[in-house]
Amino acid sequence: MNRNNFLVHLALAIVLILVAAFFGQLNRWRKQWSMHIVTMEEKKRPQTSEEIAIADRAAGRPEVLVKFKSGLSHDAIEALTARLNDRVEDLIENAPGWAAIDDLDDASPAATVEQYRAMPGVEYAEENYEINIPDQVTDATDISRVRTGVMLRPKDPMFSDQWALANSGQRGGKEGADISATIAWAKTTGSEDVVVAVLDTGVDYQHEDLQANIWTRPDGMDPYQDDELGSVDDTYGFNAIENESDPMDDNGHGTHCAGIIGAVGENDLGIAGVNWKVHIMPLKFMNAGGSGTTKDAIEAINYAIERKKAGVNVRIISASWGSTQRSQALEDVIRKAYENDILFVAAAGNSSVDNDRQPHFPSSYNVPNVVSVAALDRNDQLASFSNWGAKSVAIAAPGVDILSTWLGNSYEEKSGTSMATPVVAGVAALVLAEHPHMSVEDLRRQLLSSSDPIVALKGKTQTGGRINAAKAVE
Amino acid sequence: MTKDEAVDKARKDLAQRLKLDGSKISESSVDDADFPDMALGAAEEDEMSGQMMTRGWRIRLSADGQGYEYRADKNQVRLYGYKGKNYRL
Repeated sequence: MNRNNFLVHLALAIVLILVAAFFGQLNRWRKQWSMHIVTMEEKKRPQTSEEIAIADRAAGRPEVLVKFKSGLSHDAIEALTARLNDRVEDLIENAPGWAAIDDLDDASPAATVEQYRAMPGVEYAEENYEINIPDQVTDATDISRVRTGVMLRPKDPMFSDQWALANSGQRGGKEGADISATIAWAKTTGSEDVVVAVLDTGVDYQHEDLQANIWTRPDGMDPYQDDELGSVDDTYGFNAIENESDPMDDNGHGTHCAGIIGAVGENDLGIAGVNWKVHIMPLKFMNAGGSGTTKDAIEAINYAIERKKAGVNVRIISASWGSTQRSQALEDVIRKAYENDILFVAAAGNSSVDNDRQPHFPSSYNVPNVVSVAALDRNDQLASFSNWGAKSVAIAAPGVDILSTWLGNSYEEKSGTSMATPVVAGVAALVLAEHPHMSVEDLRRQLLSSSDPIVALKGKTQTGGRINAAKAVE
Repeated sequence: MTKDEAVDKARKDLAQRLKLDGSKISESSVDDADFPDMALGAAEEDEMSGQMMTRGWRIRLSADGQGYEYRADKNQVRLYGYKGKNYRL
C-alpha cells in the first residue's frame, strides 16, 4: 500500500467511526426522549373520579372491600378470591374480617361487588369508594391516605395520642381497644345541624380547636326569655350560676368534654373530636372548682329544652357530673328533656362502686333518655375508679388518659367517667348526623345495640360492651 | 393555692371549729392523693361535681386526741366527714 492509499483508508475509517458514534448518540437521545415522555405521562395525575378509578385499576389498587364471615381463615379467604381471579391486597387489621380485594381482570368495581355478595362466605361487599377529599388535600400521599378504604384518619397533629379513637397499641395499650372512629368517619364526620349541649363548667368557646364548632344563637332568633331573669343575651349559650349570658369556662373540665365531642377535625391543629363538625352549646352550671348545685343544673337543662322548642336542634345533653343525692326535680326536668326528644348522657361516677346498690345521679335515674356511662382504660379493662351496674349502667367508653382541649388553647390528658360520657355523647351526635330524624328511643337503642362485647364488662353493665361508633352509624 | 397554703387554711379552720388555739392543732400527715371527683370525694349536700379524677392533697390533722381529714387541691379546701358531713371552706 502506497502512502496515499493509506491516508485515504485512514480518513474513511475515521469517518465511519464518527458516523457510528453519531448514530449511537442519536439512539441514546431517542431512548432518553421516550423515557422523558413516559415520565411525563406517569406524572400526570388523574383528576376526575373516573380517571382515579381507571388509574386505580391500572395500578392494581383494590377495587372492592369485602367482609368475610367470621371463622374464615386467611387461606380460605385467599382461595375464595382466587376463584374469581382476584387477589387479597390487604386484610384490614382494625376491621376484623374485612379485606381489600384487587380484581386482576380489572372488571368494574360494581360487578365485582355483586360477585362477592353472591358468595356464601361473604357478609358484606362494597366498592372501595371515594371519600370526599378536602380541598386543601392535593398531595399524592394525602390522597392515598384518605383513599385507603373503610377508614379515614385526620391529619390533626396529636391524633396519634388519641387512643380512644384509634388504639394502635400506643403506650402499652391493646390494639383495637377503641371506638372504631376511623371506620365511622368513612361514613360521616358529623354535622353542624346537630347541637350537643355540654352541661358543665362552661366551655372555652375561643379555643382555636373548638371555635368553629361552637353553637351561637342564630341570626334572627330572639335572646332567651326567662320569667324570672327577663331577657338574657345567650349568644354563646347560658350561664346558670350567674344567670347571665357568658358560659366561658373558668375550670377546664367543660372544655375538655367539649373537645372530646367536637374538636375540629382535619384542621392541622391539636386533636380531632369524635365529630369533626358539630355544634356545641356551652351551658355553665359548675364553678371554677368543678362543682355546682342541683338548682343550677335544672336551670341549664331547662334552657336547652326551651331553645329546642324555639327551633334549635338540641338533641343531646352531655352530663359529666353527679352525686349520690337523688333529686326529684332534677329527674323531672330530665324527663322533660326526654319528652322533647333530647338524649341525656351521664357519667356513672368514679367511686368504684356498684350503682345497682349505691345509685349515682343523674346517671341512675330510670328515665328512657338517660344513658349511664362507665369508663374503660386503653386495655379494655374497666377503669379502676369507674362505677358499674348490671342494671343501672348502660355502656362503657374510653375514659383513662384521654387527651382533649383545655383552657387557653392548650391540651391535657384527664381520666374519669367524665371523659367517657362525651365519647358516647359524641357517637350519638355522629348517629344523628347520619340519621337526623331518629327518635331519642331509637337513638338510645342504636347506641346500646352497636356496642362491642368486652370480657371485663360481662355482668358489669347492661350491654357488657364498649361503644362502637362504626357500628352505630351503620 | 399551694400545698402549704392549703394546710394553713385547714389548720385555721379546725382551730376555729373546735375553738382552740392554733398551737393545739398538730399535723399528722400531708400526702398527695387522687380524689374521685372535682369535689375531692367530699361533696356537700345538694352539690354536683365533675366526675374527673383530681390530684390534690390529703391533710390529716389532730387535736385533743381526735383525727380530722381535710382534702385540698389548687382550687379548694374541704373538710371530710366532720360529724357526718362534708364542708367546703
